Amino acid sequence: MIRFPTLGWLALRNLGRELRRSALTAAAMTVGLALLILSRTLADGAHEDWIDSGVRLASGHVSFNAPGYRDSESLDDRLDAGQLEASLGAAALAPLTEPSITTVRVATRGLASSADGALPALIVGVDPASELAFSRLGAEPATGRYLQEGDRLHAFIGAGMATRLGLRTGSRMVLTAQVASGDIAGQLVRVVGTYRTGLDDLDEALVHIPLSVARSWLGVEGATSVSMVLPHSAFTDPVLAEARATLEGAGIEVAGWPETARELYSAVRIDDAGDWVFHLILFAIVTLAILNAVFMSVLHRKRELGLLRSLGLSGAETGLVVFVEGVLLTIASGLLGVALGFALVWAFFRNGLDLTDIMPADITFGGIVFNPVMYPSIELTHLVQSVALTTVIGLSASLYPAWHAARLDPAESVKVE
Amino acid sequence: MNEHAVRTEDLWKIYPQEPRPVEAVRGVDLVVAPGEFVVMAGPSGSGKTTVLNLLGGLTRPSRGKVWIEGREISALPDKALAQVRLSRIGFVFQSYNLLPVLTALENAEFTLLLQGVPVTERRRRVRRLFREIGLEGLEDRRPPRLSGGEQQRVAVARAVLGEPALVLADEPTANLDSATADALLDVMEQLNRDNGTTFVFSTHDPRVMERASRLVRLVDGRVAEETVSGDAG
Ligand SMILES: Nc1ncnc2c1ncn2[C@@H]1O[C@H](COP(=O)(O)OP(=O)(O)OP(=O)(O)O)[C@@H](O)[C@H]1O
Ligand SMILES: [Mg+2]
Repeated sequence: MIRFPTLGWLALRNLGRELRRSALTAAAMTVGLALLILSRTLADGAHEDWIDSGVRLASGHVSFNAPGYRDSESLDDRLDAGQLEASLGAAALAPLTEPSITTVRVATRGLASSADGALPALIVGVDPASELAFSRLGAEPATGRYLQEGDRLHAFIGAGMATRLGLRTGSRMVLTAQVASGDIAGQLVRVVGTYRTGLDDLDEALVHIPLSVARSWLGVEGATSVSMVLPHSAFTDPVLAEARATLEGAGIEVAGWPETARELYSAVRIDDAGDWVFHLILFAIVTLAILNAVFMSVLHRKRELGLLRSLGLSGAETGLVVFVEGVLLTIASGLLGVALGFALVWAFFRNGLDLTDIMPADITFGGIVFNPVMYPSIELTHLVQSVALTTVIGLSASLYPAWHAARLDPAESVKVE
Repeated sequence: MNEHAVRTEDLWKIYPQEPRPVEAVRGVDLVVAPGEFVVMAGPSGSGKTTVLNLLGGLTRPSRGKVWIEGREISALPDKALAQVRLSRIGFVFQSYNLLPVLTALENAEFTLLLQGVPVTERRRRVRRLFREIGLEGLEDRRPPRLSGGEQQRVAVARAVLGEPALVLADEPTANLDSATADALLDVMEQLNRDNGTTFVFSTHDPRVMERASRLVRLVDGRVAEETVSGDAG
């Protein structure tokens, strides 16, 4: 017996009459949603940027190791030649639509020394071509050049280490480490170039040498890790699942970046939590604005609502008219908000939001250097979340006024004021 | 056919209030036959509005019963009561009777719309009635652009179009000048005479009382006097 189309039609007409009030109420929601989309896309873009730069300097989005290696970092826990082949095979099978980068590393902790002194070093044997694309350390060398195919006894080191050890391009240095057999062995290398990441710990410790040199010096056939950089961090879980299934029983551990780069993962999570607090505050304000507007409109129209009761609407139906008004407003402002949000993203941040001027140089955390240029990234799940949240807020803010309208005493309401 | 349009028995309305409850209506027994044109008179505060609201199911009695065409409505749940108002009762208030977002025609047909009458039928009935009561040409005006008398006539049109058992009008002429008030009463009389619509309305105005077929005087929430005039109808 609910004459729903009629009630909907009436709600629409009511909104139309108070167009300015409706527009202002809708504007609160629209702007709220647009800001939410804007801040989410910028945050998502920034997080993706952090993750990408973080995992490139570490173990990638997904890495393959022998069990125990991530704790021991010992050559004893390495992938043998067969496991290395299997890992590379699994990496190649990753379910991806865009290309990924896979790199093979033989890494060990050791000592880097020169005539000026010695420093603890993380020595990594790499394949120059894939490593260049993977870590990008050598993309813009501070001095000299990056390792190349055919290099022998060459090393690419950080600017910090070069300073501390008094090394320049062309200088010779000795790397010392425990080799697979258990002995301590030294390896003479020549510096071909240096990099600067801005991460002091890294710049003083990380040394790249050719994979072949590392293998023969350390007496290793396989590798300590196979790492993958994916087109987007969102691919991590599916790739991980697929690789684990493929390598079932092969004695190979496959880990995602949240496990291998815990600090980075925490940084992203904490920043996300901060964003949510900001969003909740934003939404509390928007909710109150809408609640106020819709509720005022009910108080304002008390007589009119009483009139509807006298004409034969039940209390529930009268409340429904008010609720439908809120729903229509929510739908309209939801659509507008999404449009406005994307328009803002596109208009202002298509080329990134550059914070260089207001940020001190080289803020580092979680193993990355903060990129002062933030690029927006639209994540479907977050977009759906934002729209859903706005909808929930629009609807719940209409609920109380509707309930109030439903409970108005009709005889009281029709009294002439 | 029912012997009454509305009937009440020992009707009371007591508003709980400090320092003591207000007894707005105190034991009213009233029977209105179909086709009657009843005027309820009485000083301010005598309970006219309260009685009309009780008759129309807009307020629930504290005690006593109300029957509309033989059906007791005093104990119906909200939804059923709303349905009774929609199909059996027409209300006309002193002012602000119309929904401001709707045109005169949309206001007049609103009851029919809620009753589910198809659009062509609605329009036909409204246009014919508008012609009869001098509202022709005003169909598309919104309430703010209608005079007080025109607004009241649209409200009367809406009240009678649903073919109710009775139309309850609470001081429908109070905000009108005397000529306009006369014109509105003419319309109500005409509808009463031609269509047999039952009217119960309240007034302060002695000149309006003269036109009643039956005059019920309320004093302090009780029926003090009933007069039946010979020349009405
Ligand atoms: N909601 C209420 N709460 C308390 N008292 C009320 C309420 N409504 C009406 N009354 C009281 O009930 C009595 C009857 O009121 P009612 O409005 O029915 O009188 P009336 O005859 O219509 O008066 P008027 O001619 O001024 O319109 C009055 O004393 C009024 O103060
Ligand atoms: Mg009154």
